[in-house]
Parts: sequence; structure tokens; C-alpha cells
Amino acid sequence: MATAFKTVEPLEYYRRFLKENCRPDGRELGEFRATTVNIGSITTADGSALVKLGNTTVICGVKAEVAAPAVDSANKGYIVPNVELPSLCSTRFRSGPPGEEAQAASQFIADVIENSQIIAKEDLCIANGKLAWVLYCDIICLDYDGNILDASVFALLAALKNVQLPSVTINEETGLSEVNLKQKNPLVIRKHPVATSFAIFDDTLLIVDPTAEEEDLATGTVTVVTDEEDRLCSVHKPGGSPLTGAKLQDCITRAITRHKEVKKLIDKVTKSIKPN
Amino acid sequence: MAALELLSAEGFRPDGRRPAELRKLRARMGVFAQPDGSAYIEQGNTKALAVVYGPHEMRGPRSKALPDRALVNCQYSMATFSTGERKRRPHGDRKSSEMSLHLKQTFEAAILTELFPRSQIDIYVQILQADGGNYCACVNAATLAVIDAGIPLRDYVCASSAGLVEDAALADLSYLEEAAGGPQAALALLPTSGQMALLQLDSRLHEDRLGAVLEAAGGACRAVHAVLDRVVREHVRELTALLGD
Repeated sequence: MATAFKTVEPLEYYRRFLKENCRPDGRELGEFRATTVNIGSITTADGSALVKLGNTTVICGVKAEVAAPAVDSANKGYIVPNVELPSLCSTRFRSGPPGEEAQAASQFIADVIENSQIIAKEDLCIANGKLAWVLYCDIICLDYDGNILDASVFALLAALKNVQLPSVTINEETGLSEVNLKQKNPLVIRKHPVATSFAIFDDTLLIVDPTAEEEDLATGTVTVVTDEEDRLCSVHKPGGSPLTGAKLQDCITRAITRHKEVKKLIDKVTKSIKPN
Repeated sequence: MAALELLSAEGFRPDGRRPAELRKLRARMGVFAQPDGSAYIEQGNTKALAVVYGPHEMRGPRSKALPDRALVNCQYSMATFSTGERKRRPHGDRKSSEMSLHLKQTFEAAILTELFPRSQIDIYVQILQADGGNYCACVNAATLAVIDAGIPLRDYVCASSAGLVEDAALADLSYLEEAAGGPQAALALLPTSGQMALLQLDSRLHEDRLGAVLEAAGGACRAVHAVLDRVVREHVRELTALLGD
């Protein structure tokens, strides 16, 4: 009976739950799904992380290459993020060139990297004007159940923390670069941005960490990215129902709390793999 | 510099295996919630993921629907970070298209497609880390995913590669052994009946040697079958235990 009701009147079905301050999956309105992270499982990548947010599964692999820096920023490297939503992760995506959602997510990640200064691009420079690192950060969604942005930002951060770059020197005499694969250095992560997403229901009700179903029924979404100093890196609200300043402030406060949880989790996992 | 020795005088391969020995095979079924069937497999350092949607109504042009059986749609892609050098095109290049076609042909031979006329079965495979035997890992993962989706199969489809080095047939080649460029074959076998679903031999090989290579690949396929069967039985046992509560 319940499943029939859900199929015919999905919105009303949800409203009944929300009225009781809970959700069909048993969470409270302000509760996140179980979050797990697995770091460094892909050995062909220079850094990798698999993040699960409930059913949503995202893998991020970072590949480093060397290239000549751009002329107007001779002392900077590049970070190239890309979010892939293949048809493998959900029936809603078709195979072929990246769709709107994947492109929007890629751009969002690029903006987060730029705004949060997660890595100083100067750190990626090997020789001024000659050689710099390019970090290709490929994020692939393996199972899509909403809140792809939070999972992607988390996976990106965890993968970047896992990156080990070989040391490169330029031989003064020959002008050729020499790579020392034995000596590997971790990247310097300057900031730890963490994204927290909310769905807006019926223009007023805020629920955190929406599933795909909730995202479809919601009248709007908000994503807030903060760093460890509680500074905002990005506030992303793509249209939808309007939101009062007080509600937005509420989102930011909750995002700051969430940041502490995520940071604790990531520290725990990085510490547990260090001894090897 | 001496060429890399693929088989030592004592009969060991570069990674310490015997000629007929497989790499460590680990697999899990039902890893994702969204699709109808899913599986993850690790064969040595090769890691692959397979996801199955269907059988469902035709998506896209309905004229493509087959009146007497289901259409099997396969897509193979490699993660950009799966190889030593970064891959620019994760799918859609010639090699991936060929691999997709081979997977489709393999599974058309194994799935009882005539039970689902006018419908479609999607099989998506993703290589997360490549270390030789990509096709084989994909077939094995896809078999588990198809079983997880509850789609009837004639038999398990088990795949393994085999190559020839100095008259000795090696089973389950790693990337290092594949890259050496010797003769090699990929075989997808339906182990119970012993029928071949797909055999691909890309390089020149004397016909007298084919028997040895096929035997090595066939033996490896049967060993894979034993592992896959155990994984399926364990998975079903776990599921029934959950249902029993």
C-alpha cells in the first residue's frame, strides 16, 4: 500500500514523513548519511580516494604530469578537475558526451579549488617558466543517489591528501629534467574545503544531504563550502525557491559543524594508512 | 641490456607465479544499490566494476528492438587514472569500442535472450586499475553482475588469457607479460559444457601450439569458475540469512 502511495503521490508521501520530522530512510531532517572513505586503493593513480555517502559512491583519481606553465603565470602549475557521471551510475544519464549536470559539477569543483586555495598553484611549479605539475583530478560517480557535490569535494580532498609526487630537478648543464622516483613528497594541502548540501522542501523546510529522490522532489538546493577556519569558500544556490537570510545563516552554521565531522574522519583515515 | 626474462630456468614468472597459476582473484557481488545487478572484481592488480540494468523496455529508438530476443548493450570504459600514462579518452576510442563489441558478443552467447523479446539489457563495465587481462576481468565481473541482476544465463561465462613463452603456456597474463608481445589469446568459456563463447588470438602462432595455449586458458577459466561459483554461493547465503531475520 505504501509503495503504491509513493508511486502515485511521491510528494505527498514525503510531506507526510517531513511533518513528523523524519525521512523515509529513517533519518532526521538534519542527519547525514553514513560516510566512509577509502584512500589510496588505486595504485596506478598518484593519489586516489573512494567516498561513499550512503549509496552515493564516488571515486577520485589524481594523475600528475609535467608541462610548461602558461606564459602569463610562469610560476604556477595547473589543477584540472573533471566530474564524470557515466551511464553506469544511474539510468538517468545517457552515454555520450558529458551532460549538463556533469559539466556543472566539474565547473563547481573547479571554482572550489580556485576559491578555497586548497593547493597553492605556486607549489606545483618545478622550474619558473619552464616546468610545472599538472594535476588531473578525475572524479567518477559509480553509484548515483544524490548529493554528488558533497561526495565529489570530499573525494577530491582525500585524493589530493594522498598524492605523492616524485622530486624533479632540472640539470643545469643539459637543461633536461631528471625525475627521482625514489624520493616522493606529499602535496602541501593549504586548506580543507568541505561541501554541505541542503534541499529546500516547499520553499521553507531545509533537509541536509538529500538523496536522488529528495533532490528530484525538492524545490531548490543549496551547497555551502567552508574551510577549517570557518570561512566560506563557496555558496552555490542554483535557482529554485527563494531563501531568507536567516535560513541561509542556518545552513552556514550547519556546514561548519559538518566540516568538523568530515575533517575528523579524513584525519582518522589518513593516520590509519600512514604507518605502512 | 638483457631482455626481461618471462620464465626463469626454475619455471617461475616475473611475479613469482608458476606457468599455470592465476593471480589472486577476489570478487564481490551486489556492491551498489542503484542498478539491478553489480559486481566488483580484482584479478591481481586489475580492478574492474560491472553494472547491469535490465531487462527493461527499449531505450532510444524502438526500431532497434528485436522481435524474438533481448538486445544486449555493452559499454566498456577505462578510468583515466587506470593506466600508467593518463588515458585521454576513457571510452569511445577504437580499442574501447572493440572491447564493448566483444563483451556484447560474449554475453549474447550466454544470456538466455529469447526469454525477453523486445527488451534491452545494459551491461556497463569500468576498469578502475589496469594490469593486464582487462577483457577477462570485465567478463568475469559482468557474469557476476548479470547473476546478481537475476538474469538467466546458460552457464557462467569465465574468461582468462593465456600466452606462450619459450614453448611454455602461461595462464592469466599480467600487463608486463602482455606488453612483451608474445603470442596471446583471450578465451571466454562456458565451463560446464566446455563451449567457447569467444576466442581471440591476435598474434601469429603455429597451429601445433594452439592446443597448449587453449588448454592453459581453459584450465584457468575453470579455476576462475570455481572462485566465481564460491562467490555467488556465499552471496546467496548472506542474502538468505538476511531474509531469514
